[in-house]
Amino acid sequence: MRAQDKTQTHMEKAYALAVAISTKRLAAMLWRGIREWCGDSAYERYVQAQKTKPEKSCLLTPTEFYVERVNRRYSRPNRCC
Amino acid sequence: MKRPISVVIWIIVALVGASALGGIAFHRGEPLNATWFVVAAGCSYLVAYRFYSAFIAARLLALDDSRATPSERHDDGRDFVPTNRWILFGHHFAAIAGPGPLVGPTLAAQFGYLPGTLWLIAGAVFAGCVQDCIILFCSIRRDGKTLGEIAREEVSQRGGFIAQLAVLAIMVILLGVVALVIVNALKSSPWATFTLAATVPIALLLGLYLRFLRPGRVLEASFIGVALVLFVVVAGQWVADSPSWAHGFTLSGVTLAFALIAYGFAASALPVWLLLAPRDYLSAFIKAGAIFSLAAGILLVRPLVLMPPLTRFIDGSGPVFAGKIFPFCFITIACGAISGFHSLISSGTTPKMIIRESHARFIGYGAMLMESFVGVMAMVAACAMTPGVYFAINSPASIVGATSDAAAATISSWGYPLQAQTMTDLARAVGEQTLLNRAGGAPSLAVGMAQIFSSTIGGPRLLSIWYHFAIMFEALFILTVLDAGTRVGRFMVQELGGRVWKPFARTGWWPGILLSSAMIVGAWGYFLYQGVVDPLGGINSLWPLFGISNQLLAAVALVVATTILLKMKRIRWIWLTLIPMTWLVIITMTASYQKIFDPNPRLGFLSYANALAAQIAAGKIPVAKIADTQRVIFNQRLDAAVTAVLAAMIIVLIIEALMQWHRILSRNSKSVLHETPYVATRWTEDFSGASYPGTAAEPEAPAMEG
Repeated sequence: MRAQDKTQTHMEKAYALAVAISTKRLAAMLWRGIREWCGDSAYERYVQAQKTKPEKSCLLTPTEFYVERVNRRYSRPNRCC
Repeated sequence: MKRPISVVIWIIVALVGASALGGIAFHRGEPLNATWFVVAAGCSYLVAYRFYSAFIAARLLALDDSRATPSERHDDGRDFVPTNRWILFGHHFAAIAGPGPLVGPTLAAQFGYLPGTLWLIAGAVFAGCVQDCIILFCSIRRDGKTLGEIAREEVSQRGGFIAQLAVLAIMVILLGVVALVIVNALKSSPWATFTLAATVPIALLLGLYLRFLRPGRVLEASFIGVALVLFVVVAGQWVADSPSWAHGFTLSGVTLAFALIAYGFAASALPVWLLLAPRDYLSAFIKAGAIFSLAAGILLVRPLVLMPPLTRFIDGSGPVFAGKIFPFCFITIACGAISGFHSLISSGTTPKMIIRESHARFIGYGAMLMESFVGVMAMVAACAMTPGVYFAINSPASIVGATSDAAAATISSWGYPLQAQTMTDLARAVGEQTLLNRAGGAPSLAVGMAQIFSSTIGGPRLLSIWYHFAIMFEALFILTVLDAGTRVGRFMVQELGGRVWKPFARTGWWPGILLSSAMIVGAWGYFLYQGVVDPLGGINSLWPLFGISNQLLAAVALVVATTILLKMKRIRWIWLTLIPMTWLVIITMTASYQKIFDPNPRLGFLSYANALAAQIAAGKIPVAKIADTQRVIFNQRLDAAVTAVLAAMIIVLIIEALMQWHRILSRNSKSVLHETPYVATRWTEDFSGASYPGTAAEPEAPAMEG
């Protein structure tokens, strides 16, 4: 990559960052982060992952998914001293 | 232009850090301000992260972002979920940070603030973070395999088996000792006992809500739960004030121990969505909140550190636990400096969610730095109280006496002035009947935290609320370790039992579930009970045992890491893992030897057992107490045997590893690295910013090619 192009991509990145830091986007980002961190959005994520799969398997309901998820999560070390 | 500026900035950071470290190391006389600790730790971490971890990432591990990680290759929305690195950092940190970095430094404060603080910083930078980061890397390159599986493939069959046994051993001892910490915090305290007991129905309520009303809506359920928990912290005061309620919640150590054992059994055998999962959600939010508040409190209040840099107890005569500064400072502070348990998290969930190999540096190395910082804050909170008060709270009655007057006289005679009235007033101010003889670290940390918090919000009037908030927060996440650990232990027992008799391993078979739950609860419950009835205060014998087993597991992890690095032909940089490993082996072996054979009855298990046996033989023990004393003798011999087994395991593992290393280095046989083959990533983004796969709001984010 030429130096000029590199500077340009840097400029673009800086601009993109400036846009991202508008308060609303920041709040949305934070909210999304917290939801993902605590597992609130796990089902949405699962549905999305299933959609991209070529083979069609039957989709779990939110309840089934939740129960299966916590069962698996707490069957291996996930909390430390 | 950019480079000279960054060079100047990093030189300044390094100089500031070095002078702050020098300040806390060589300062004598007037008490130091806590800011020194925050600056020393902060700058050390920044320099270590910027340079040492970069070196490890680039030269030692050669992290390769063009390589597809397990989360990309197996993305199933369940185990393998590509996760933004900041969120994964949060997950990983929430998983590794437990009561260890709070309790260990608080206990080690008996040597003074200096040794513990230096070990927390240096241990994390050169050992703990390195271990976490390298094991995470190894697991990413092996589709998220566990430490045991990696050890079996890369070291030897026997190495893998030892790793598995070490995990089970550390689990049992860990659960026993953390349960003891709760018992010592709750005994004779109706307020704290009520608050913690009330979290059980709250968790059940949330469990039902998340299962039937609003499946999987964790966030709203947690908000309701946290609000209810905060309410019961306040409501505990009314319970303590009402004579009939207070009577019902004033429990002895033995009763509390049995209540915890029953709780552990229920949490392990009941469906996980009912009790265990909702409690964990609650605890995760409260943990994050309390740790941030502690950091903010220390920065705002900047308390004076009243503990001297070194106390007279570095000679091994300490009242909190016996043993000299070497090796016991390094055994007592396990988590916070290096913790073998982390290698289970680094080879568990995290590698299956990481998007890029390079994130292993931020998540593996960075999260451990943050845990170390939690340890330094706990050290500051413990050392910010008057040394006399610290020793009164943490020493067992057999050493300082059971009354305020006796404790004040003994502790003052050690050179740490204490008035009997101080302890009575302090207990009243925090809403307790007594604060004496509460070894275990939780109450003294809670007093330290309450003093810091109440200096920012509420003043002395709110001291009692803050104290019980801090106790609740510690107890809540100790309970989380207890129930999650019991359940995982149950699966390990089922898996091992399944090798002998197949049906035992079936996870849905009720007799198997009940029997394996009873076995694991019985095992840690025995250690807990033994600690509760131990006349020397169980922490003295059990916490070092826990430290030894945790450091043993860390040594296992570093042996595995060294073997893999040798196979990767990184011989030139092998000392990066070899030195921490050697250090751990030296401290665990020395500590094991002293705990078993030392002639001092407070330190050596066998000499204590022999001393008691001699007393019985000489007729010095009243007839009514002979049975109890014989039980104590048996427990001491059992602890000696457990320590010996742990030490033997590490010796066998080292021999296995040395043989394997010899084979690798002599090139007699071809050493095979069991990595999954290279697959180029199809993701074009570097995912360093906000956009990452899996967000409904930005479906274009994964930016797949082809």
